[in-house]
Amino acid sequence: MSPFIQTPDNNQSRRSFLKTTAALSLARSAAPLALSLAGMGEAAALSAPPGDYKALVCVFLYGGNDYANTLIPYDPSSYNLYQGFRANLAVSRVFLDPTVLNPVTPLPNGQQYALAPEMAALIPRFNAGALSVLLNIGSLVQPITKAQYTGGNVPLPPKLFSHNDQQSYWQSSSPEGASSGWGGRMGDLFQASNASGSAFTCIGLNGNAIYLSGQTAFQYQLTTTGAVALNAVNSPLFGSSSASAALKTMLNTPRTHLLENEYLNVSQRSLSAYSSISQAFGKVALTTTFPLANSLGDQLQAVAKLIAARSSLSVKRQVFFVSLGGFDNHTLLAKVHPGLMQTVGDALSAFYQATVDLGVAKQVTAFTASDFGRTLLSNSDGSDHGWGSMHFMLGGAVKGQSFVGTPPVLGNNGPDDVGQGRLLPQLSVDQLAATLGNWFGVSAQDQLTVLPNLKNYTLKDLGNLSAA
Amino acid sequence: MKQTDPEAMQKDCASLGLEGSALSPDLRRSGLEVNWASLGLSGAGVSALTALTGCGGAQTDVSGLDLPDPSTAVHRFGLLTSNAPEGSGASVLPLGASLRVDTAQVALSSTASSASTSSTSTDANALLNWAEQQYPSLFPGVKTNLTTGVYLYRYYPETQNYLGVSVTGTTLGNVYVLGPLSGGVLALVGTLQGFACQVSGGACTLTSANDAARFLSQATLGYTRNDLNTLSQTTISQWLDAQLALPTSTSYFSWLQANGYDSSANENNTTGMDNVVWKKLISSPDVLRQKIVQAFSEIWVVSVLGINASWRQFSIANYLDVLEANVFGNFRTLIEQITMTPAMAYYLTYQGNVKTNTTTGSEPDENYARELMQLFTIGLLNLNNDGSLQLEGGLPKQTYAQSDVSGLARVFTGWSVDTHGLTTPYGPVYQQRPLVQVSSKYETGAKSFLGVTVPAGTAAAQSLKIALDTLFNHANTAPFVSRQLIQKLVTSNPSSGYINRVASVFINNGVSVRGDLKAVIKAVLMDPEARDLTLAQQNISFGKVREPIQRFLSWARAFNATSATDVWAIGDLSSAGSALGQSPMRSPTVFNFYRPGYVPPNSAISSAGLVAPELQIMDETTVAAYVNFMQRAIAGTGVGDLKADYSLLQALASNSTALLAEINVLLACGEIDAMTLANFKTALDTISVTTPSGVMNRIYAALTLVLACPQFVVQK
Repeated sequence: MSPFIQTPDNNQSRRSFLKTTAALSLARSAAPLALSLAGMGEAAALSAPPGDYKALVCVFLYGGNDYANTLIPYDPSSYNLYQGFRANLAVSRVFLDPTVLNPVTPLPNGQQYALAPEMAALIPRFNAGALSVLLNIGSLVQPITKAQYTGGNVPLPPKLFSHNDQQSYWQSSSPEGASSGWGGRMGDLFQASNASGSAFTCIGLNGNAIYLSGQTAFQYQLTTTGAVALNAVNSPLFGSSSASAALKTMLNTPRTHLLENEYLNVSQRSLSAYSSISQAFGKVALTTTFPLANSLGDQLQAVAKLIAARSSLSVKRQVFFVSLGGFDNHTLLAKVHPGLMQTVGDALSAFYQATVDLGVAKQVTAFTASDFGRTLLSNSDGSDHGWGSMHFMLGGAVKGQSFVGTPPVLGNNGPDDVGQGRLLPQLSVDQLAATLGNWFGVSAQDQLTVLPNLKNYTLKDLGNLSAA
Repeated sequence: MKQTDPEAMQKDCASLGLEGSALSPDLRRSGLEVNWASLGLSGAGVSALTALTGCGGAQTDVSGLDLPDPSTAVHRFGLLTSNAPEGSGASVLPLGASLRVDTAQVALSSTASSASTSSTSTDANALLNWAEQQYPSLFPGVKTNLTTGVYLYRYYPETQNYLGVSVTGTTLGNVYVLGPLSGGVLALVGTLQGFACQVSGGACTLTSANDAARFLSQATLGYTRNDLNTLSQTTISQWLDAQLALPTSTSYFSWLQANGYDSSANENNTTGMDNVVWKKLISSPDVLRQKIVQAFSEIWVVSVLGINASWRQFSIANYLDVLEANVFGNFRTLIEQITMTPAMAYYLTYQGNVKTNTTTGSEPDENYARELMQLFTIGLLNLNNDGSLQLEGGLPKQTYAQSDVSGLARVFTGWSVDTHGLTTPYGPVYQQRPLVQVSSKYETGAKSFLGVTVPAGTAAAQSLKIALDTLFNHANTAPFVSRQLIQKLVTSNPSSGYINRVASVFINNGVSVRGDLKAVIKAVLMDPEARDLTLAQQNISFGKVREPIQRFLSWARAFNATSATDVWAIGDLSSAGSALGQSPMRSPTVFNFYRPGYVPPNSAISSAGLVAPELQIMDETTVAAYVNFMQRAIAGTGVGDLKADYSLLQALASNSTALLAEINVLLACGEIDAMTLANFKTALDTISVTTPSGVMNRIYAALTLVLACPQFVVQK
């Protein structure tokens, strides 16, 4: 049943890696992770068939991205509506010419969109067929019409317009307090095929996110410069190796108290993963140039390094989560939002290039997500919490230079919004997730478990990802 | 113990139609329990009460009746007090939620108390009197003491409840309930020690160092050996009153001014803010106020990172001064004072908020209206007074709709920082002035929210008053705020009874004042659930994770750390990879560093249906970075010129056991177990203390070990 092939790889670094891992495994016999790490000994002597690798990369824009200044109506009649609804926020049309999107299949009725001018770096990606735009996508329980929304008889995601809850709903299909996310649930299905087990299946670069946590798969967090060593264990504590050993023993001794033991669980994962991550990370030198002073770029660069190190980590499927904050632009939107667009555009473009340079462009798919969209109408200096939004899928497997979905009617309590231009989503996060899952290798049956609301949709795949 | 034949009893009861499900398997375990069940107290049996009077039970004749053996008791910690004190207006609850306990440890040991039986009887008598006074509907009248087995108890035939105390043996001091209140099973509801503060009205003392340390962990940001000694010589009530009467130290704002941070070069930097915040948190003598200010700063969050204005560190300084001035006042005043700070106005973007523009369709900014409701006062879902969800047709009900947000947003229009009489470029002083109205921006139209309509033409100040009164008086506010304060000070998962008791004090402080924060703070800290050391130690989910800032402050205050230059250049500790991953007044969003409802996924905590807020910022990176940071800090590296005074520890360093014992009390409330301490001792003994540097190395190693220890990271 093992998909792995025996290789004669017995070099010194591999041996020392094995030794370290075995020692850690022995020390932590009670924890679930120990089982998966115990498998690393076997795995170290094996390697995945080259090429069988896929990664999903969620790029989360915390705070609720302003859709209307991200994907800007460009054809004259649409632009005029847009400009009329948010005169003091609207981007001048003359700045949009360089970022007009020309899809393979034009939108009906001559409708056109341009990207925020600061996202110019994504235009070559769009034109090369690696970028697809999702129109009016958001959290739903099931498909819903404006009449159904008004009638109030169709279930809605709970706590709409609330940051923390809609972040959670996007990531997990439940509001705050969710016990797993759909990235992690996909990870559950594949961690067995990763030789390193759950340890490196679901990885975050900017702190805990429910998206990454499965029923069995743990999320593992590291920094943009790699894993953080616990110095007091790794080297003698104030000169005493006995004290270091005592610290390690303590961190490996389970506690009955639930909170205490969870602290120990996290500490043990930190200790166990450190050497393998740091060795894998240290061996990689990317040739791709990433933008400077771009925190999202830093995170995506680290993801690219981990992908480059996939063989030494012996992983075949990985789920990554990176994020950027600052999108809750109730005020100063015209001043602040363009910089955010620049950050996102530059970071995504560089990341795509890195996957090309690594030869894995078709095996890596990135997508954007956010709490919710915002109002189309201005509050005089910014926009307020909304619902549906515009998002992107990026990667070599994406059937790009495309739009998915229908351009929403620009309005204030029009057919496609629930007031102030808060879009009523017509595509759901579940459909996006299922599309990604299909590509990732999640079976139709498993999709229904990973995505509890997917059963409510006839169209379960948006069709803009090439099959493996 | 009198034995009763369960078979026979079941047979008798069966004849009364109570066979099968009427008696739970638990109740069938012993004949005695069936005997109790026969008093009409098993689950389904309650409804069959009248039928049961003849079924082996004599409701009035209880003298000489054997109470079940204490070893059969189930934990229902908080049950006795799950109902709010009567007359508070709070809803009466059914059975209190039981907390998870380590069942292997259910039988209490007597080690917690060495009190003589006679003093226990005195205390038991006081508790029984108190309970009759506090809960007359559960324990009506004034009953006489009865004894049987280990128990001193009273019986209340009107309600069929028994309330008793074990006055001897290994269960000495345990408090039990039996009757409809406990669902018909013997329930251990607390210990005399836990109830002492409530029974005595705060005239209780914390005689053991560990117990005093535990109280100070809840009530302060850190404590010294002197603080423990001081507390041991007074009652909790006296200590609290003394703290509540302490004046504030030098204000944040004036410290920044006095230290030159108002020079134009500092218009946009935030260094002074970090410095003065650390100075206050580490060294201000009003230790209770500092704890509460720090807690409120994470409930009513503003962050210097989100203030897009000049002199933003002064904006934060003023905000903290307003908190200091009001956290011992009334909640209604606090929310108004906060609402009028430039810091909040910038942070939640109602500074310069403009009324509806019918030409452009522009509407007022909704940011503050939404978060004021969601995060600061009422929350998203209708609550009972005990913090549980109010259900309608089995579903929770949302407290407000989008239309309420839009309506309330109209109140927060026209407010602006006050620059009257100032010349540009403005100095920092405008960040200290309350907001003023700019009538051209104020929405004069009607404003509807939460069932209230402010009529068109109502002046801005009056509109604000109506809005804040509405939120202050909302039924959710008391439990919503009370729960979060409990979570900040005592435990992440308070029982519904605990929330109910504190929320009831929020509603009425005893002299018909709502929102009296002094009374609320006392209620949080004096509650039996906060004070019961024995039961807290046996409950495998009690307590809270100390947030990284708190762990650092616990160390700094325990050893009188100070900045000799008075600069306090500890800096921004937000880096997750190289510092604490958290720094005061630098939350990434208004949702704080972590959420009160955070559930660590894929964990035993999640499986148990519990929350662990502070774990939201604990991950594989931050656990390591925290220990690394503390390892440097304790040795005086990476924290400016902050230096601890280890003279107390230096005197103990030659004896590793004594050294560890002291650190265990000063940081971990004595919670670290003997085996762990023994392992530490063996390791520390390998560090020679024949040289001064050896002495310091042993102290530093001991501190690092304790600071990394789970019994310190988690406060019980």
